[in-house]
Amino acid sequence: MVNLTIDGKQITTAKTSTIYEAAKENGIYIPVLCYAKKLLPYGACRICLVEVEQMKGRLIPSCTTPVTEGMVVTTTSDEINKVRKTVLEFLLVNHVVDCPVCDKGGECDLQDLTYEYEVVTNRFQGEKFDLPTDEVNPLIERNMNRCVLCGKCVRVCDEVVGYGSYSFINRGFETKIATAFDRGLNCEFCGQCVSMCPVGAILPRPFKFKARPWQLKDVDTVCGYCGNGCTVTLGVKDNQVQTIRFNEDTGVNHGNLCVRGRFGYSYVNDATRLTKPLIRKGGELREASWDEALVTIAEKFKAAGKDLGIISGARLTNEELLLLKRISSALGTHHLDHSGGECYQGLTAGLNETMGISASTGTFPQVEKCNAILAIRSDFYETHPVFGMVINQAIRLNDAQLSVIADKRGKLSKLPNARTLMHKPGCEINMINALCQVIIAEGLAKTDDLQGLAELTKALADYTPETVAKMVGADAEAIKKTARELAGAKNAAIVVAYGLPYTAHSKEIAIAASNLALLTGIAGREGSGLYLCGEKANSQGAIDLQITPGPAGLGAQQMLNSAAEGRLPVLYLVGEDPVVTYPDQGLVKKALEKSFLVVQDLFLTDSAKYADVVLPAASFTEKDGTFTNAERRIQRLRAGIKSPGEAKSDFVVFQSLLNKLQKTAPAAPAAAFGELTGEVAGYAGIVYEQIGPQGEVWGGETLAPLKKVLIPVAGNEPLQAEYQLLVGSALYHSGSVSTRSKGPMSVCPEPYIELGRDDAVTLNVKTGDMIQLKAAGVTIQSKAKVDNRLPKGVIFAPYHFAGLGLNRIYTGQSVIAVEPSKL
Amino acid sequence: MSETAENLKVLICTGTGGLASGAASVVAAFEAEFEKKGVAAKIGSACDVNSTGCRGLCANDVLVDICKPGEEPVTYDFVTPDLVPQIVDEHVLGGNPVEKKVAGPYYHQFLEKQQRIIFSRCGTIDAESLDDFLAHRGFTGIQKAVTMSQDEVINEVKKSGLRGRGGGGFPTGLKWSFAKGSPGDTKYLICNADEGDPGAFMDRSVLEGDPYGLIEGLMIGAYAIGCKFAYVYVRAEYPLAIKRLQLAIDTCYEKGFLGKNCMGLGFDLDMRIKAGAGAFVCGEETALMASIEGQRGMSRPRPPFPAVRGLWGYPTNINNVETFANVAYIFYNGADWFSSIGTEGTKGTKIFALTGKVKHTGLVEVPAGTTMKEVIYDVCGGILNNRKFKAVQAGGPSGGCLPAEALDAEVDYDSLIKAGAMMGSGGLVVMDETTCMVDIARFFLNFTRVESCGKCIPCRIGLKIMLEILERITQGKGQEGDIEMLEDMAYDIKKSSLCGLGQTAPNPVLSTIRYFRNEYETHIKDKECPSHSCKELLHFRVIEDKCKKCGICPRVCPVDAIEWEKGKVAYINLDKCTRCTSCYDACRFMAID
Repeated sequence: MVNLTIDGKQITTAKTSTIYEAAKENGIYIPVLCYAKKLLPYGACRICLVEVEQMKGRLIPSCTTPVTEGMVVTTTSDEINKVRKTVLEFLLVNHVVDCPVCDKGGECDLQDLTYEYEVVTNRFQGEKFDLPTDEVNPLIERNMNRCVLCGKCVRVCDEVVGYGSYSFINRGFETKIATAFDRGLNCEFCGQCVSMCPVGAILPRPFKFKARPWQLKDVDTVCGYCGNGCTVTLGVKDNQVQTIRFNEDTGVNHGNLCVRGRFGYSYVNDATRLTKPLIRKGGELREASWDEALVTIAEKFKAAGKDLGIISGARLTNEELLLLKRISSALGTHHLDHSGGECYQGLTAGLNETMGISASTGTFPQVEKCNAILAIRSDFYETHPVFGMVINQAIRLNDAQLSVIADKRGKLSKLPNARTLMHKPGCEINMINALCQVIIAEGLAKTDDLQGLAELTKALADYTPETVAKMVGADAEAIKKTARELAGAKNAAIVVAYGLPYTAHSKEIAIAASNLALLTGIAGREGSGLYLCGEKANSQGAIDLQITPGPAGLGAQQMLNSAAEGRLPVLYLVGEDPVVTYPDQGLVKKALEKSFLVVQDLFLTDSAKYADVVLPAASFTEKDGTFTNAERRIQRLRAGIKSPGEAKSDFVVFQSLLNKLQKTAPAAPAAAFGELTGEVAGYAGIVYEQIGPQGEVWGGETLAPLKKVLIPVAGNEPLQAEYQLLVGSALYHSGSVSTRSKGPMSVCPEPYIELGRDDAVTLNVKTGDMIQLKAAGVTIQSKAKVDNRLPKGVIFAPYHFAGLGLNRIYTGQSVIAVEPSKL
Repeated sequence: MSETAENLKVLICTGTGGLASGAASVVAAFEAEFEKKGVAAKIGSACDVNSTGCRGLCANDVLVDICKPGEEPVTYDFVTPDLVPQIVDEHVLGGNPVEKKVAGPYYHQFLEKQQRIIFSRCGTIDAESLDDFLAHRGFTGIQKAVTMSQDEVINEVKKSGLRGRGGGGFPTGLKWSFAKGSPGDTKYLICNADEGDPGAFMDRSVLEGDPYGLIEGLMIGAYAIGCKFAYVYVRAEYPLAIKRLQLAIDTCYEKGFLGKNCMGLGFDLDMRIKAGAGAFVCGEETALMASIEGQRGMSRPRPPFPAVRGLWGYPTNINNVETFANVAYIFYNGADWFSSIGTEGTKGTKIFALTGKVKHTGLVEVPAGTTMKEVIYDVCGGILNNRKFKAVQAGGPSGGCLPAEALDAEVDYDSLIKAGAMMGSGGLVVMDETTCMVDIARFFLNFTRVESCGKCIPCRIGLKIMLEILERITQGKGQEGDIEMLEDMAYDIKKSSLCGLGQTAPNPVLSTIRYFRNEYETHIKDKECPSHSCKELLHFRVIEDKCKKCGICPRVCPVDAIEWEKGKVAYINLDKCTRCTSCYDACRFMAID
């Protein structure tokens, strides 16, 4: 700790603080323009200059200068104010001052400072900027005439996002911020630059001329897309979400968001939302009253009883899932599952067998302090972009070594020092086994209280790095290096992301990863962790609440099998669209056709078109409750808008259904949460009303394994086929709901089939050409996208788009043999 | 080696200045002539034609020394290939120097007040020859240094009183002790050779003329601090310097002088050149490090200082070329010897690059404490065309202009700062009565405004506005209050800028206002340029009583606007005149205003 005096006030602060931070902590105001909490000190704007008695003769930038013992700081004096005012005058000489039409007006730092320092007239004269605005892309507008060159966009894109879209170009007064070759912005459109810009130079285009900042009501809630659980602040006006705003003081994400979180909100305002219940009459879905719909459903459910199948999405709140569980027990059915049942559940089940727990062992802030990180699957950034940014921070701030077990290159492979351990598709387990083998063989394993070491050692004899490298086309030396780093690191993390397109071998991968986490001592060690990241916003909640088949109950896939065979008369789909997203579309359609189908969703989805009753549900922006994210953090959702028409939240629908089934239900989410803390291990003691801005992590920052059992798992033989298709997630989308959002759709509007350069040459295909993939007699067609991240012979297709019909050939395999041809 | 003393030696200046004047063809001519005439056989000893570094008097290149065994060397200046046969015939073979071509007494005068220590090898040895370097005490400094502990080496440098020659004048030994004291095994040493001041080229001369000497200085520094990797950041505009230094580094690696266990002395040092990409600001140490890292050359805030967190986040020590060159000599001759040269506050010698309106432009090395007057008048022969001295700009764009009254200032760090300038890297731009001081301020500010990295607001925008005001003044559009506004802005910019560039950029304006305020006032109030130098303020009239009727102006006029007959005062027809200023520049009598 260091003692210093600021404006006569005695202050004790951390040795690592800057003068600005020390002042802020103690409620002393120093104006800033280029400073940002989450970025490295920069010192460009000179607004935060102060006087330091020990450094007489010049003014000291408080945002970059570390505190020293005995420092005496003055934050305001006539001289300081004069210099600050001069700097503002300088800025205003060339700035266009078009505040009346600037969307930033009202929350612009330059405006506020100008006002604060009463820069009424300007002593200086000069030319006004007249630079062209960048309106090439649909999401982010750049108007460099308003830019103050604080460099926040450049820095955040580099330091946090790791994309590096921006740089300063030119020198002197002509300096400006530009993209490569000063062309239009073309990046991953996460919009971090938008959130950081202190002036109106970088703005979200969808929000242009929608509202003045002060007309917006800010509502802090949790993003409804992935399991990262980012805080989003809804900017609400006229019962519509007008924009997603920036709040770096709340939540796990320091205000960072991805393209989906920041620009993917428009589906909640969409005119095609369902507003009334629909009942199939005379072969057509017709509008009906809630009562009629509920009575119909209740009768059918009661009649089906234990033969009712319930498949839920993982974007329902914990409280809604609790009620859904009550419905299943009221009816006596054990056929209950959620989308994660196809993938995430396998993962957690694997972990349960080895460690007796079924959740990530650490929290995101710990990852930032890791020295070594292993990401299993290259799509990790694509499924969980903001967690990817956390990994980038570990690399930037902590010099962490990242290794990626990958069947294709992704964003993570591009991060500094990233080591990509490429392998043939479908062979992740072989790679993880090889890592375990090295750790045991080289005596690096932390073997205390591990069970099954002998068996594992024996089973891994066939997984020497050399053998595995030869079999799956990997680099043995790289495997060894990674293994040694993971075993030797003070803090290390293993991260695995899962989702509907990765259903194969999920349990085995979890076991293999657990073995590695146990051998390296990562599991349960403070600062280290094994991270299992479900695809959806409440994947972890669904596991915690055990939205999984009961004794002898059927899982999602089995329910569909059974329904297709006519053995499950009634199916209830809540927030799921299996026709588009589940493997084996043919089977799904057959199942939906044969059963009495109730669908509860926001839209008339492809699955809902098969329904006998459709119930209009509410989006995450319209409800209260909690989500549990991938690090076990329980966070509160807050309703920002009212649902359209007669649409109701799943909570209200379940309440009504329970009533129709003559059961009681908690009156509100808060009460429901109170009940579930009594039922869910780990949630005990958490009080709904006390869940603060940072949420509550159940089980503590580090979740200790309840047991440590090593279980051998066999790897897979690489598929022998000239062309192999991988199914996965694209960065711009999450599930299928993002395809109904203007933002993601404006930059990634249609399905595509991605090819590597070599294959594109062989097949004579260019980006934009139509190509066809044939597998097991079925063909799908799409536009081609040629890129350089896929190895030869590997083809990739994202699963989000209904139009592609990818699940006509994807039936749950890890990799699919296909025959591509140009159309 | 012993034989070479018996050889006839021809030393030819092949620095950038020499080469620009045709040194390469002079070298070829000597070699060809020796071959053709069988000179070696005739005089009975081998003939070495040595390409040396610069010897200072660049204005008179190509300079050639003929060193016959047992005789005083004879220096020729303005040598061209045509002259070579005559020199060979009459001097080398005949024994009689070609008197008409031998450099005049000014050459000895040029050397007389100098004390050429750092330059002792420049111009004497073959810059590309390791053997020649070794024959001139090369690498004896590092051999001595390694017999001492790291702290003893640093103390020796501290004792010598050496201060950074890059301009700031920070005590070198102290700086080294900071970097040595920083924890960690990975440390970097950087030699800043991004010499970018207008009119400064002393570092280039050292790099071209004595590259091994620089390497030796770096080795001593690296040993003292505990660095295993040294960068030399040379501006890409110095291709010859880069070539020779690279050759020297390669030779050192080949001979085991660099790399693992340097010279068998028990320490490792790798060295690499990083060619700068043409930004003045990269001479600023934090921007320089950013540039080495592959980032855009932009300054970073200090603290943390490089000694704590520098290149790639590791402790780093940065010194200038001349500083490292000095270090080698401190270890040849001892700290006491070094500290016996110079003044109380500034020890050793300082190299100055003289350009502008001075007779003998070039490089001079004088002991600290020599007065400005001695440098300009005694060493460099005074003002060109015998015009009146007006000012000297010391310290480049960061320094200031000193008037005639300040000519008695001694050249050391403290006196120059007191006089309103600074030592800087050592560029001296001499100005005569034809130079307008407002225009000079404008010139330097234009330089810094263009070279500002654009990061901090005062430097990026403030300098541009100051420049615009100065431009207005030189165009006769100055307003009452402009001077006060400039002073006020200069103060704020100096106070608030991020790095040395912005903090010192207003100095030329402040020093010219301080010493030549009347010139500003005349521009603003009378719309006149007292030096008749600002183009927009010239009247293009011939001043009758100054005109010597020489007739040079009509000859240079490109549009035949000047009427002149022999014996008559010239007349400029303003209807035809395009105001190109050719006549003004050509007139040696200041007869056109």
